[in-house]
Amino acid sequence: MFTNFNMQAFLCLKKQKVKVAIALFTESISKTTIHMNSKLIRCLKVCAFLLVVAPFFAADAFSQQREVRGLVTDSNEEPLAGATVVVSGDTQRGTVTNSSGEFTIRAASDEVLVISFIGFQTREILVGDRSTINVVLQLDQQLLSEVVVVGYGVQTRSDLTGSIASVSADDIANQPVASLDAALQGRASGVFVSSPSGTPGAGITINIRGQTSLSASSEPLYVIDGVPIISEDLSGLFSGGQATNSLADLNPNDIQSIEILKDASATAIYGSRGANGVVLITTKRGVSGQSTIGFNMYTGFQSITNPIEMHSSQEFLELMNDAARQDNRDLGTTYSDTHVSDIWGFDPNDPNLQNTVWYDEIFRSAPVSNYELTASGGTDNTRYFTSLSYFDQEGVQLGTGFERISGRINLDSKVTNWLDFGANVTVNRTIQNRTINDNSLYGVVINTLAGDPLMPVFEDDGSYADPFNYFGWWMLDNPVLIANEYSRFTNTVRGIGTIFGVASIAEGLSLRSSLSIDYTSLDDEAYTPIISRESRNAQRNGFGNYGTTQDFTWLVENYLSYVNTFADQHSVNAVVGTSFQASNREFSSINAQGFPSDQFTKLSVAAQVTSASTSGTSWGLASYFFRGNYTFDNRYLFTTTGRIDGSSRFGDNFRYGFFPSASVAWRMTNESFMENQTLFSELKPRISYGLTGNQEGIGNFASRGLFGVSDYRATPTLVPTQLSNANLTWESTRQLDVGVDVGMFQDRVTFSADYFIKTTDDLLLNRLVPGLSGFSSVTDNIGKVENKGFEFDVRGVILSGRDFSWSSSFNISFIRNTVLELEVNNQILNDSHILSEGQPIGTFHLIDHRGVDPQTGNMLWIDENGDGVIDSGDRRTVGNAQPDFFGGWNNSFAYKGFDLNMLFQFTYGNDIFNHSRASYENLGWSRIGIPGIFPLPDGNNHRLADNRWMEPGDQTDIPRASLTNLNWREYSSRWLEDGSYLRLKTVTLGYNFSPSFTDRIGMRTFRVYMQGQNLLTFTNYTGLDPEVNQNARNPLVAGSDFGTHPQVRTISFGINVEF
Amino acid sequence: MKKLSILLITTLAVFLISCDVLDTEPQASLDANTALTDGASAQAILLGAYSRMQVTPYYGAHFTLSPDLAADNARYQGFFDSQLEVNSGSVPISNLWISTAWVNMYRVVNIANLLIAEVPNVTDDAFSTRDRVLGEAYAIRALAYFDLLRVFGYHFDIASPYGMPLLLEPIENNDFNLIPDLERSSVAATYQQILSDLNTAIGLMEGYVNNTVMSYWGAVALRARVNLYAGNYGDAFDDADDVIENGPFALVEDVQDLFDTTSPTSESIFDLVFSDQDQSALYVFTFQRDEYNVDPDLTDAIEPDDERAGLFVFERGSDRPVKWSNPNNANNVKVLRLGEMFLIRSEAAVFDTNDPNAGLDDLNEIRDRAGLDDLDPFADLDEYVDALLQERRIELNYEGHRFFDLVRLDRFEDVLNRDAFRRAFPIPRDELQIQENLVQNPNYPTE
Repeated sequence: MFTNFNMQAFLCLKKQKVKVAIALFTESISKTTIHMNSKLIRCLKVCAFLLVVAPFFAADAFSQQREVRGLVTDSNEEPLAGATVVVSGDTQRGTVTNSSGEFTIRAASDEVLVISFIGFQTREILVGDRSTINVVLQLDQQLLSEVVVVGYGVQTRSDLTGSIASVSADDIANQPVASLDAALQGRASGVFVSSPSGTPGAGITINIRGQTSLSASSEPLYVIDGVPIISEDLSGLFSGGQATNSLADLNPNDIQSIEILKDASATAIYGSRGANGVVLITTKRGVSGQSTIGFNMYTGFQSITNPIEMHSSQEFLELMNDAARQDNRDLGTTYSDTHVSDIWGFDPNDPNLQNTVWYDEIFRSAPVSNYELTASGGTDNTRYFTSLSYFDQEGVQLGTGFERISGRINLDSKVTNWLDFGANVTVNRTIQNRTINDNSLYGVVINTLAGDPLMPVFEDDGSYADPFNYFGWWMLDNPVLIANEYSRFTNTVRGIGTIFGVASIAEGLSLRSSLSIDYTSLDDEAYTPIISRESRNAQRNGFGNYGTTQDFTWLVENYLSYVNTFADQHSVNAVVGTSFQASNREFSSINAQGFPSDQFTKLSVAAQVTSASTSGTSWGLASYFFRGNYTFDNRYLFTTTGRIDGSSRFGDNFRYGFFPSASVAWRMTNESFMENQTLFSELKPRISYGLTGNQEGIGNFASRGLFGVSDYRATPTLVPTQLSNANLTWESTRQLDVGVDVGMFQDRVTFSADYFIKTTDDLLLNRLVPGLSGFSSVTDNIGKVENKGFEFDVRGVILSGRDFSWSSSFNISFIRNTVLELEVNNQILNDSHILSEGQPIGTFHLIDHRGVDPQTGNMLWIDENGDGVIDSGDRRTVGNAQPDFFGGWNNSFAYKGFDLNMLFQFTYGNDIFNHSRASYENLGWSRIGIPGIFPLPDGNNHRLADNRWMEPGDQTDIPRASLTNLNWREYSSRWLEDGSYLRLKTVTLGYNFSPSFTDRIGMRTFRVYMQGQNLLTFTNYTGLDPEVNQNARNPLVAGSDFGTHPQVRTISFGINVEF
Repeated sequence: MKKLSILLITTLAVFLISCDVLDTEPQASLDANTALTDGASAQAILLGAYSRMQVTPYYGAHFTLSPDLAADNARYQGFFDSQLEVNSGSVPISNLWISTAWVNMYRVVNIANLLIAEVPNVTDDAFSTRDRVLGEAYAIRALAYFDLLRVFGYHFDIASPYGMPLLLEPIENNDFNLIPDLERSSVAATYQQILSDLNTAIGLMEGYVNNTVMSYWGAVALRARVNLYAGNYGDAFDDADDVIENGPFALVEDVQDLFDTTSPTSESIFDLVFSDQDQSALYVFTFQRDEYNVDPDLTDAIEPDDERAGLFVFERGSDRPVKWSNPNNANNVKVLRLGEMFLIRSEAAVFDTNDPNAGLDDLNEIRDRAGLDDLDPFADLDEYVDALLQERRIELNYEGHRFFDLVRLDRFEDVLNRDAFRRAFPIPRDELQIQENLVQNPNYPTE
């Protein structure tokens, strides 16, 4: 009975629920306001449950074996000899096809044949009641013959002359991360991805072949289905250096493939925006044939990777007493043995001491889930792909979270025999809930840093404890209060849409026209509560901010493509076209204060509006481009590209620029002298050279002399805001790439190696100008930076048996970044960083030391300038944030229906300035108190402080405890650490139910899987996580860790079903 | 045919679109070359000079507070190294405050330069306030140069070559390539330029009274102060006397009332006006943060019964200056006020005559207001300077005077126990890097 009930439920689900769910989804998208439709979510959860549970009750069947014959061919109907045919689940029954591609095997009608051949996609076919089974195997897209998306067109990989890395949908789908860029980590050589903060939905940094820019952006251009999108942080909300991520507006599961264009041959067609590489994202499209309904979901839990262990109250008091005793020995003071605990009025041995573990109070185990429905299919004339998804992530830190609901429709239609028409539309809504973090006075993590364990989170009356009533100087407000009571929401609605038409004009010649928009409407809402210290200190009675950003970008592109082959030897593939893009952005912001109570957070109830403003800005780009590929006899490949870009951002004298490239490749395996060898299936040396630009990250009106508006006595005033520079133009990057693509054993093993040297001139930098002009700097083209390095990519099928297979890919990149020329050398950028010729971007400049004196336990500071005083004048270059090498190692195993994927990712040789230690390794230094009367240190210490110097002769790198400031220098190399790590980034273990089984329960495919993210990390770094960067997207001051939200470890469970 | 028409329409569309994507204009800014066109825009630019005085590195916080932090009135217990360095007395050439102060003070100079150069040429018949605008511009330039000289120059040594580079013209075309690389003028030449600007200003603004801008009396009061610093005691006496006797000002009776308001008072000669909507950072830095906490040395120096003891309030472990206690940062900065004029007249009288008791009445006037008894006559000049410094310290603390007073009255080494070369702050590192002709003050590093 129960079995029947479930089967019925399934049939019902199959026929009805899907429609209902789609209807609900469609309805909910129109209704969705701030919170998602909870009914819908419940429905989806029920569906998921049924899908998982039902199969286990399905009845087993038994049938008679008989002889089955068949023919295996490729898509050109050529027979495939030597293909493997096995009965799923029975390794004893297997065969290979003969020279005509034919096979014979015994199987029962409910059994499944697995047909595989190297270089082709494996197929599984239910025998059913057929006696003859003919099978067509499709070429495996992973291999060199795959089609690769390039700028304004597609090419087969074998025809490429440039350096392009591809990442497939399988690599990025179903990972419990908010945005696709996070899923790229470790997947391709030359691509360095760092997640500067674990805040859900936070901005991610991607550098393709190094950082080319000092002040403009070093982020690549993102192009989704041909539309270069806005990828910057549009939020106006202050959250302490943690950018939002506009790429999180896209559903990663909609993506079919990602191409990363690296060398100039590939990127020059994107002209003044190509210098940092280009990420081409192609979304899924419908395939003609049977319609498919898919349901995917996963749900899991996240926790922080490496919680920092802090001292207990007893240890805290004992360390303070030790500090006094150490001072007695070293400085001749005469404190008692229990000097500090007596003054504070505690007995360290009191078993009833308050003992708050602050990190446990702000971090939690938090759920993350994703639910998605897709429908795709089509006829010969019309094809469609649609998806709806809901992603919900709670942050591991209290007070953070990210939600997204997104929908997509991709449509292709053949209107007449010469005209194709199509449209891509995606609409998303995201809600990001943040707290202030990083280096901010009222950040959550930063206020937790040295949290006094003697301080409770709540007082006995239930109110938040006030740190000013306790002994840590560092904490400015109770971090639990900040996390729970502050609110900071960024709500985004984004739509990206394209309509396009492709007209065949003549044989081989077609015209593609498209009109696209990228629209973002974002609002920020923040409230600082009355009970907060921030509000109380300023006597503001709560204050709030509301801001909006509307960005509207349109794009019109037209290009002609011509493909033809003459005399069997001369292949031509050419593109010429125009592109016009313009963007308009409007902002508004209102600040108000004086709220009646913390239950009201909308500005309408505030007593006083303190400021309100609206503004706007715009930019435009007019472009003309071409690409020509010529292949002679499938042996010699030539590509040339070029783009003319006119940009509104630049000075009158240099408004248009030309960005050409050229490349050559030689397919040696097609030469007659290699005809008789079988080792190499591909051997293709290639070389490219070209020029690209960078105009991002710079003000839209940076070239103009400007007066802005200010006020005095409530009267508007005019003030000079900018000096002019009519010569302002783009940064230009010249890149040489020499590489080779190798395929061996019929492409079972493929290998790519590249050497590149990338020199960026005319860097957009703030040029210091004499301050007597009233300005400290103007934006100008000065300076030069170089990135050069080697990249290696190997992938191969290591084992390929009937039941077990193992394939592996490995990539590693060695990139050296060097600043070659600056207008002013040795620019001190902040308290910890410097910019110097001959050094890389992100160089640390700190007070240095020679370790701890084993006799006194004091730091041996280096008096760099020899003036007898240790101060900021003694800083020197001590390291940098650039890794020596980085990469990834991916392994896929398959055994029968099981698959296991493990991605390791590593970075070696970068330094991290663990600024947080300056707080939680204070070792008793009483910053504000008076040691003899009332010591008041920053707060508690981490457990590594147990390794501090205690007795003469101790060899350690942590100095003695002291109530005075002998050994503590905030900006010193004492906190500089090795940031290298090896990380098991993702592990996925999945099981695909066999077709015989799924067919019986009315599904086409059914997969269940478990996944872990960041499960293992090997590192010497002592902070919360080695993947940190306090100043997201400012590489100049990269590599600091100061109260940054850490990365998370996620364990999730998911299912994928297709009907 | 159909194909052809589609092709034609597409081509046409492309050309129509391409026309204007590159013509964008800022929405919240004006092109610098067309900013000053008539009387109204001249007036707006003039007020712009005041809003540039309001910035945090200048009167909006650090310039107002640093002379106390660099001396013995305030102490650093906060977070920012820049203030720690000022407090320690050993200011490196990379110090953030001096770097930003230099630029922001010169920004005010440049606004004044633009007005001085262009206002006489503006063709606008309705521009009735032309002389006032021009006069204010000269007075503002004098104020900015005097502030620059006090921070970066040897204002205490008229014979010194370490005055300020004197930029007196606007930057041509606002083009950064045309910024001149000026040498430093001597201290005497710098004083001469400041006084000349003030004389011009006073001539242009006669009868113009407004205590929220640098109007006639502001220029006279500033000239009193400048002359005092320059050692022109007779002139300083005359100007201070003029303001006290002929100006429309009166001492506020209760010293609490002087700072218990965000509006100008009867004592205000020039208040830089702040409000809820146009905030300074003075409350932020004195009450909310700990960069400029009151040094107990200052409160200890207050005599018993001095009502000015009420100008301090104890909050969060330190005394805080009531002068900046408006939580919306709306306290006006009293750039020039009548109380200081009495103290200038007293000091000028004494040093003009070398009679230690020539300025006793004016000192007592200020003491009287604070509820203190009159002082007995002094035996010598030294005794007078002690009393003068005491009075200036208690009266004008947290208003930007203490450090300069100790320097010019030659008590710098005694009171602060520092090397004499630190009487002037260093020329910022950024400026030395790009201006070959700019010379560092003696004994400071050049890079």
